[in-house]
Amino acid sequence: MLRLTIKNLLDKKIRFALTTLAVVVGVAMVVGVFAMTDSLRSSFSQLAEDISEATPLTVRTSQEVGREIDRDPVPAAVDEVVRSIEGVEDTVPGVAAFNVVITDGAGEAILPTGPPTLGFSWTPLQFFITDGAVPAGSGEFAADSSTAADNDLQIGSTYVISGPIEQVEFELVGIFNFGAPDKHTTLGQTMAAFEIGVAQEFFGLEDRYSSIGVLLDPGTDTAEVQGRIQEAIGRDYEAVTDEVIEEETTDDINEVIDVFNIILLVFAFIIVFVSAFIINNTFQIVVAQRIRELGLLRAIGATGSQVRNSVIFEALLVGLFSTITGLVLGRFLAGGMRWMLNQGGFSLPTGPLELQPRTVVWAVVVGMGVTLLSSIIPARRARTISPIAAIQSDQQLAGASLRRRLVIGGVVTGIGFLLLLVGLFGSLDTSATLSLVGFGAFLVFIGMNTLAPSFARPAALLIGRPIARILGTPGQIARGNAARTPRRTASTAAALMIGLALVGMAGVVGSSLTKSFLNTLDDAVQSDYFIRSDSGGFDPSVGFSEEVAAEIEALPEFDTVVAYRFAIGSMRIEGSNHDVFTADFELVESHMDADIITGSLSDADAAFAIALHEDSAEDLGVVVGDTLDATFPDNGTDTLTVVAVYRDATIFGNWLIDNDTWERHFSRREIGFASATITGFSDDLPEAEQARLQAGAAEAIAPLGQQFPGVKMESRVEFRQSQQDQLNSFLIVITVLLGLSLVIALIGIANTLGLAIFERTREIGLIRAVGMTRWQLALTIFGEAVIVAIFGAILGLSLGVVFGVAVVIAIPDSVINAISVPYLTLLVYLVIAGFAGMLAALLPAFRAGRLNILDAISHE
Amino acid sequence: MTLLAPPIGTAPAAAGIAAAAVGVSKIYGHGDTAVHALDEIDASFQSGRFTAIMGPSGSGKSTLMHCLAGLDTVSHGSILVGDTDLSTLSERELTLLRRDRIGFVFQSFNLVPTLTAMENITLPMDLAGRTPDQAWVDEVINTVGLDDRTSHRPNELSGGQQQRVAVSRALASQPEIVFADEPTGNLDSTTGAEILEFMRRAVREMDQTIVMVTHDPNAASYADRVVFLNDGKIVDEMFEPTPDTILDTMKALGN
Repeated sequence: MLRLTIKNLLDKKIRFALTTLAVVVGVAMVVGVFAMTDSLRSSFSQLAEDISEATPLTVRTSQEVGREIDRDPVPAAVDEVVRSIEGVEDTVPGVAAFNVVITDGAGEAILPTGPPTLGFSWTPLQFFITDGAVPAGSGEFAADSSTAADNDLQIGSTYVISGPIEQVEFELVGIFNFGAPDKHTTLGQTMAAFEIGVAQEFFGLEDRYSSIGVLLDPGTDTAEVQGRIQEAIGRDYEAVTDEVIEEETTDDINEVIDVFNIILLVFAFIIVFVSAFIINNTFQIVVAQRIRELGLLRAIGATGSQVRNSVIFEALLVGLFSTITGLVLGRFLAGGMRWMLNQGGFSLPTGPLELQPRTVVWAVVVGMGVTLLSSIIPARRARTISPIAAIQSDQQLAGASLRRRLVIGGVVTGIGFLLLLVGLFGSLDTSATLSLVGFGAFLVFIGMNTLAPSFARPAALLIGRPIARILGTPGQIARGNAARTPRRTASTAAALMIGLALVGMAGVVGSSLTKSFLNTLDDAVQSDYFIRSDSGGFDPSVGFSEEVAAEIEALPEFDTVVAYRFAIGSMRIEGSNHDVFTADFELVESHMDADIITGSLSDADAAFAIALHEDSAEDLGVVVGDTLDATFPDNGTDTLTVVAVYRDATIFGNWLIDNDTWERHFSRREIGFASATITGFSDDLPEAEQARLQAGAAEAIAPLGQQFPGVKMESRVEFRQSQQDQLNSFLIVITVLLGLSLVIALIGIANTLGLAIFERTREIGLIRAVGMTRWQLALTIFGEAVIVAIFGAILGLSLGVVFGVAVVIAIPDSVINAISVPYLTLLVYLVIAGFAGMLAALLPAFRAGRLNILDAISHE
Repeated sequence: MTLLAPPIGTAPAAAGIAAAAVGVSKIYGHGDTAVHALDEIDASFQSGRFTAIMGPSGSGKSTLMHCLAGLDTVSHGSILVGDTDLSTLSERELTLLRRDRIGFVFQSFNLVPTLTAMENITLPMDLAGRTPDQAWVDEVINTVGLDDRTSHRPNELSGGQQQRVAVSRALASQPEIVFADEPTGNLDSTTGAEILEFMRRAVREMDQTIVMVTHDPNAASYADRVVFLNDGKIVDEMFEPTPDTILDTMKALGN
């Protein structure tokens, strides 16, 4: 039996190759993702260790609220205290800032997409000059080696650098490596380093340090010195060991890598899931085709279990082969992914790619598991084949009856939807929501796959009608072929369904997001100009210098400018930390309309005021006039008066404070976003007058755009367009990634068609004998592929719309408040699916065309 | 037609030639292992005649038919269908020739399962994009007695009915010549007789041309003429055969 199974596999090399390919891609994805992220992790934790080891202790401000980015600086006086403590050899105080943007020689801002633009005070412990000199005086800076090389920065040249407060010209005096003298490690960020006094002034941190590194006298006990320092500096500040710093740094980096890891793994598992459909389908068909042969085995004395085991053994071989190939390919894939990321602006360390035991275990679980699971049902069917099948020609495998299928499929789909809804609308934490939604969607797909065969026949006939009309007789035969094996048509289509459901869902969510944004812009935003950093993203660490807002405000063509800032989890009220927005209360009502229910922003004593969303007000049980105690990252607490409660959370989120309050408690000076109004502009003016004012404003602001190259200053129309473009390009990336699963589904279509053609060899021989040309035969196969693909696409896109609408309803109104189904886009996906089906049919069509007619006719 | 000089295959009546083999050899393999499936065969088949090709297994009768029908290529010599030399045709031209000028009936598996009987009958014309001559198709269907079954699919028809559909398809496009490969091989004798009777009527009454390969003397006796093949050579022929005379010849061949 064993030898027979192996011979069988070797006999059908192409089928074997295609079946394995589907699993191999899935395994390789999983392995590649793990291998790459593992090697990233180990490189960066090595880097974190190298850096933090340089100073055994670090002194900094204690922080209870907010993120590391908003940790309050240490007064210079603390450094004096630390320096004087017994056992401290020396201190290395330093400052750091985000949004320090270098302008290159061509006047373009150097803004990586994603990674930050950082500024530092020079420290010989982490920076290693490769060329030039250490920046020593005012007007000098050094740049990291990859930023300098990528942007052709020359030592001796002068470059404009935009800081948190203003823009200043500096001369490049040195180029350095970060982390090690001979190796520069970076995630793509740009780094500019200055002499510490220069940096303090430039970052707006005079007489303060971001942190103070502590060097110890030789032979002193670290813990002892730590205790002495802590005692001297009091509870507002803390002395921490290099292990703590290393751990924090590693955690920060791992947080980024984890997100990355999870996203890629989700895509990998989608691919694995789709491949499971394909393998299952292939085994089903193969068992059905070998029914006579298996019957013969039974007739000559093989037991039912032996027949079943031979199918399982075949699956085992496919699984084993796929796992090994996937492991090997996965390592290459990891290298490929890293290379692609490096091409895309990252400078990831090219350390060895690791295959951790965990990765190998996953590869085996995915490769063997998926294949074996997929073969269970076909193997059980094979067991029931009777010896009589060897003699009877029209033996059919007993499948689940239509009624049972409807019941089981319906129940599974129902449970899936139920889990999905509970996940989306139950108030659960993120991981529970994600697992419920994921598992729910998984069940829906399985359920639909069970249901689909019961309506695949009429569906294929319906979809085939126009195809039969267009293609004539070949189309008609294609239509009949697609309809005659509803099970097969359905499960082939189901593989495609999954990918398109996800793509369709992303389309609905993306389109709803765009629509929500445009609604807000049109209904709630009155300002005429929008100022943002060119690096895109709504990251709180992205911003531009305060100077920009002041310069715009100074232009007579502009009336008022409102600056906005944002921090995550940086305001503690009644024990919980909240994300906080800032604005200029006095002016903001003429810029943004958050639909204020009670109170007013402009009448308030802004410096000690807070406005909140109606939900937050209700949760806290406060109304206008009540006060709230709010604690900020500098550990300072203010008593803020509630001055307004608003209904629309899309603009300011749930919590809004004034910029004055921010400036008391946050050291970060740069602005996240700003809006401006044009002097004298009103929607009531005649159109010509409106146009004149807009043109005047555009002309006046243009030189500022030149002056601040990293900052986008857009009119309403431009802003609308650029935001839409940004959402669209994000959507395209997601769609392309999800589209990968379509490629696997196409392998499925090719596989099924190949098997079907093998099964219909005699029919093809006959039809060619009576005069069908090769081209017409190809059309027949294309037609069938298109019908299957469109059937899968319709199933998938319909599910996608349902999923998408559910997700949109579940997402808080502050993010998405409108439902929009992008019908045209969905139609385009449908057409693409049709063409993709034809692509999948190319090889089978070619093979069918090459069949020898005589051999085909006499084929058994 | 001086090419067709050889005595055997020349008809007594001077009718037109529908198809002919001239010096045809079909060799499989080469060198010492070469097998001569057909060995220098000359034969012609007249229009309006029902010809049977007989011979024991391995005599080359099916190969000859396949070559005549453009399904297989010859090693030497040439095949003529009407005035067309098949060796000069491309694969595509051969396909179109089969579609437009030749009809086929195979032993079994004659029909496309997804098409109705009527769709199967008109398949070659549909593939060509031609409108069938409905009067003629009706006449064919009527003659084989399929009137009430044309909208059925093959799996709803009996074996005999399926062969009738196959014969109807072969005749429906009024081809120059119909090739039948053991058309009754899978049928019981009564049903087989009906098919053969119909084929004979198609030739006699509807002026069709049929070449049938068979090893069944009874089936061959429906033909106007029987050509005997053995070891790739034409060894005998007979006009107005009866089962007995055929059987005698076959027995002689066996010796």
